[in-house]
Amino acid sequence: MPQVLNQSYNQLVEKAQALFWVKGYKGVSTKELASCLDVSTSVIYNKYTKDMLFLDSIKYYTTTFSDPFLKQLRETSTGLNSLRNFFYMLIDALLDKTFPKSCLMVNTVVELRNTNHEIVKRYKSYFDSLESSYKVVLDKAISSGEIKYSDKKDIYAEFLLGIIFSMSILYKIHPKEALRAYIDEQLSFIE
Amino acid sequence: MRYKEYNTNNVLEKCIPIFWEKGFRGTSIQEIVEITGVNRFSLYHEFHNKEGILYNTLELYQERYGKRKFEILNKEGEIAVVLQEFYLSFLQCQEKYQGCFYIHIGTELADEDPKIKELIRTYLSSLEATLIKRLLKEKKTKSNPDFYARHLVGLFCTSMSFCLIHSEEKKEYHIANGIKVILNKTINHAASS
Repeated sequence: MPQVLNQSYNQLVEKAQALFWVKGYKGVSTKELASCLDVSTSVIYNKYTKDMLFLDSIKYYTTTFSDPFLKQLRETSTGLNSLRNFFYMLIDALLDKTFPKSCLMVNTVVELRNTNHEIVKRYKSYFDSLESSYKVVLDKAISSGEIKYSDKKDIYAEFLLGIIFSMSILYKIHPKEALRAYIDEQLSFIE
Repeated sequence: MRYKEYNTNNVLEKCIPIFWEKGFRGTSIQEIVEITGVNRFSLYHEFHNKEGILYNTLELYQERYGKRKFEILNKEGEIAVVLQEFYLSFLQCQEKYQGCFYIHIGTELADEDPKIKELIRTYLSSLEATLIKRLLKEKKTKSNPDFYARHLVGLFCTSMSFCLIHSEEKKEYHIANGIKVILNKTINHAASS
């Protein structure tokens, strides 16, 4: 198949991911997907289906855009301040379009909800890893005495999980200073 | 005077489910023609383009559905209970479409469509104003209603997205947890200035 000869599957996924991120799953037609990947539509129908590319796009998103940030967050030793930096980095990425549109996981939750079993599994591992990373930071903040109410760890972790969702809407309508102030105040709830 | 052969609001009402289900990009004009029974020419004449149909659909949604839910916030009763009822009113399993149409469309389009961005901004400001009015009546929140309202709007955005994939119990837990964390916060004057 000459159309795919010079491209590895990973390269196709990378291009597909960029397209799905901006247009969502339903907003991308087979024709548009084929043209973005520079392959014929029969490749999408017969070889690398839209569903397959979408699932792998989510995987690519997680390993490329999310995991490195979370790893950095878990390894930090500055307690709650590292959460502040983490969310400030997210604001910058959203506003300078390193993240071209929101978070791909959040977009997918809103667009597809629980309609695809395979994607539901991805949500679970994504949000579990987010939550456990937050808990690593909360644990450090508890042992350094930065958090008074150590029994509220789970409550705080659940609250923190919501932030990427509210940010995913609020960045669209607020300027950087307001978003940073919002994060500062959100973190002030953890005491 | 010649009456139109269709009622504009009825046409828009039929567009809500299709935009909700397929998104704006995933919906073609042809599908709108089929679902509304109004021909392309009349649709363009009335709404200018597909975007125009969407803008008017959003406004109708707020008029017919959103406003009624916002009114829950004016109810008597303990504020945490009222807030919980308000958020959950968008997420009841008997609701045909769970979540909020504005958050749904805003997620898809607010980055590239300035008019959608403006509609989302107006919608969330109106929610914020309604919350402030309520928070002014509470002893704990009346001196800093803006602060609490800002974060309750944040919780609204979270609930209308994150909770879409939650079980009923998990939804209730996440929302109650958020309300509690926000309302439990005591602001001293140094922190609020």
